[in-house]
Amino acid sequence: MSLPPDYSNEISALNREILKAQPSDVLQFCANFFLRRLESQRAEFLLSQQHSSQKGGGMAESTFPGNNPFGTSPSSGIITSGMHRLEEEEENDTIASPTASSFPRTNMENSQANKSGEGSFGNFGGFQASTNRSQGLKSQPPSAMDSQSFPSNYNMNRRTSVSAESLNPTSSLHDNWTPPYHQKTSEQQARLRAAVSGNFLFSHLDDEQSAQVLGALQEKPIPTKGIKVIQQGDVGDYFYVVENGAFDIFVNKSGKLEAGPDGLGTKVGSVGPGGSFGELALMYNAPRAATVTSTEPSTLWALDRVTFRRILMDSAFQRRRMYEGFLEEVPLLSSLTPYERSKIADALETRKFPAGTTIIKEGDVGESFFILESGEAEVYKRGIDKAVNRYKKGDYFGELALLNDAPRAASVISTTEVKVATLGKDGFQRLLGPVEGIMRRNDPSKLGMDDGVDPLAKGR
Amino acid sequence: MATAVVHKLLHHDRSNRESSSQPNQSSPPAQNDQDMAAMDRDRDEEKHMLAQWEVKRPLSPAQIAVDTNQKMVGHSSRVLRQEDFELIKTLGTGTFARVWLVRLTNPKDGDQNKVFALKILRKVDVIRLKQVEHVRNERNVLAAVAGHPFITTMVASFQDTDSLYMLLDYCPGGEVFSYLRRARRFNEPTSQFYAAEIVLILEFLHEKEGVAYRDLKPENILIDAEGHLKLVDFGFAKKVDNRETYTLCGTPEYLAPEVIRNTGHGCAVDWWAFGILVYEFLVGQPPFWDQNPMKIYEQIVEGRVRYPSAMSPDARDLISGLCTVDTSKRLGNIKGGAGAVKAHSWFRNIDWDALYHRKVQGPIVPHLRGPADTRNFDEYEPEPEGREEYGPEMRERWDDCFTDF
Ligand SMILES: Nc1ncnc2c1ncn2[C@@H]1O[C@H](COP(=O)(O)OP(=O)(O)OP(=O)(O)O)[C@@H](O)[C@H]1O
Ligand SMILES: [Mg+2]
Repeated sequence: MSLPPDYSNEISALNREILKAQPSDVLQFCANFFLRRLESQRAEFLLSQQHSSQKGGGMAESTFPGNNPFGTSPSSGIITSGMHRLEEEEENDTIASPTASSFPRTNMENSQANKSGEGSFGNFGGFQASTNRSQGLKSQPPSAMDSQSFPSNYNMNRRTSVSAESLNPTSSLHDNWTPPYHQKTSEQQARLRAAVSGNFLFSHLDDEQSAQVLGALQEKPIPTKGIKVIQQGDVGDYFYVVENGAFDIFVNKSGKLEAGPDGLGTKVGSVGPGGSFGELALMYNAPRAATVTSTEPSTLWALDRVTFRRILMDSAFQRRRMYEGFLEEVPLLSSLTPYERSKIADALETRKFPAGTTIIKEGDVGESFFILESGEAEVYKRGIDKAVNRYKKGDYFGELALLNDAPRAASVISTTEVKVATLGKDGFQRLLGPVEGIMRRNDPSKLGMDDGVDPLAKGR
Repeated sequence: MATAVVHKLLHHDRSNRESSSQPNQSSPPAQNDQDMAAMDRDRDEEKHMLAQWEVKRPLSPAQIAVDTNQKMVGHSSRVLRQEDFELIKTLGTGTFARVWLVRLTNPKDGDQNKVFALKILRKVDVIRLKQVEHVRNERNVLAAVAGHPFITTMVASFQDTDSLYMLLDYCPGGEVFSYLRRARRFNEPTSQFYAAEIVLILEFLHEKEGVAYRDLKPENILIDAEGHLKLVDFGFAKKVDNRETYTLCGTPEYLAPEVIRNTGHGCAVDWWAFGILVYEFLVGQPPFWDQNPMKIYEQIVEGRVRYPSAMSPDARDLISGLCTVDTSKRLGNIKGGAGAVKAHSWFRNIDWDALYHRKVQGPIVPHLRGPADTRNFDEYEPEPEGREEYGPEMRERWDDCFTDF
């Protein structure tokens, strides 16, 4: 007989409370705890009842089976006059958090950040103008928090879905798409790089992607003041970076730019050199959240969504196919299904090493396996003073580490700058289970080792 | 209605249901009255068959895999048309579709009470919003999965000159979303029950069908008359098998990091969204939120979930396993697949087999006055008048894309 799960949950919650509070009067503390739990559950029930009675249906008439803690006799012992109070407590979520006030207020960081942004431009949904400010919110709150610290302004409405135009990499193999390239001076490049550095959409790019994206930004002169670069409510396809000049940002409460002198709405901010706006357009086609007009002759850099996403897609696609191709050549992994191979390819991590780096060292315990993606490396064995082998693109080494903890049989040292794709034994096992099981699919006698190993890992 | 006549001319030749999964070659419209009469007989028969179809016992995964032409549900009908259904009330509207509660017109004896949900998409809107590919995926995936106990059954699909139709079984309980917002959050047993039924759906879609669903959220999960879940809206579902795909789609709060970063995504996005869903069940709102969508995406890519102190350690462990940015470490995507999720201790009280066979009672069983009761649905604005026409040039260019219907 096992204890009912609800009971165990309650008790472990109580245990946590006791550990936290270290009460001197244990019995009183426990009694209080259970009273609070009871109160909040009933409040929850009342809340649902109250809401549903507005519609004359729903939860109030729903049947709750026995395993529902407030299902059995919900009305017994509830004093209706206390409802308001109870409801408030439920909002504050007293469940298992009597020590709530002792929680560091850093929990509030996010919501405060929101507040300070209120009335300024950053908070108008879908639109963000970034001046080149640094991202000050990086210090993270602790992982636990209380529900009070939630931004209470969460939008409770039904949410609609979003989607971008379909992107298909396979066709790109045939039409051989290359991103547009617009020449820039090195100062311009540096300015652009700085302008987008704070934007998370750009901060994950590798060097090649970054070069392609910066190259694709197109200069867009704005000849006079008063030009509406983007209009609130319109479909958005471009992201802009300000090279020089100045722009004002307006939001009309109606949600779109309207005709007439006040059609722009209220001014909520302005952007100058190094600033950017309209980045949601790089994700999908959402209506613009603001109108942006020039206040003097200016210059912008523009990048459209399809170009941006295609650059990311193509490089990801090529990388995956290249890794899958490399993996096919590894005899140890020859029995992987294409599905498994693509999972491993997805998990491979890219790393760069300068020339002269010892990537693996003879005698060390091996933990990862490597594929040479670019550059060259040499293999050395103790006691032999010249290289015993030479690796180039597509060669792999250290794969025995996936199989056992035997020491590395040789050292591998890069002779040029190299890029390797690497995966650890634990990463491999997490995805597909022990590699032994996979090898046995081919030939059960091949290994002749350690018969205790799980033959499992059908994969799927 | 003028369109009805056109429609008749266009479609009554296509009564050969057997070839329905093939794109059908249009033969010239039949000219004579005999054909017309045969056509009407086919229609009546088909309507009767639809009315008789019921979700008595769920099909097993093997039975679902049977060709849609033999399954009796999920076929592309060459005879049905809008006039066969009386539109009673709007059940919901989405970005490009309107879903109606409908009843058969001129029903046979005994079929009078049968109602359905009819999802109507206007071809113009589908084209304008660049959803042609998605709508085709939706129909074909729904046809393939028809019969699963927790997925809304597409009984049939058809089209006329300007619209596409999907006839679905009606789920009178309404959206889980409405219950969740009303209750503010679900307690643990309720959350576990609904989450467990979703796990069975994802297991089936991913591991039996190779389909990524890509739009998991409480709005797309309905409750049927018996209190079990039905997943609706397969607008973004796609058969991906083992290839990654790149088109960004979903709902902002539920997008997985790899979708935002466009590094290629697959079924693993559903496990991420499933973690968000469980969180929203237990807490009442999703973990990543801001008024500015770009800020939501920034948080998602960062992937730091904060948990209320009241959340049980098991729930926390499950959610953090699912909402793991690195897909090679994400629960559901790692070794064991859905099985690893089912084995998680948060689900230790679930009898998975009984659950699949709908033997476990759900926490909310809607009380209904009859099969056509719509009290669990909100009111919606009537359809706007005077919308763009699906003209001859558009038909010329696009109609080939819709032959699956
Ligand atoms: N079988 C059904 N029974 C009852 N109601 C339904 C059914 N199918 C859909 N609905 C209702 O209609 C709404 C819209 O349907 P659906 O989500 O399929 O449309 P959509 O246009 O694809 O929406 P979205 O904006 O989410 O993409 C649902 O949220 C639901 O409330
Ligand atoms: Mg929907």
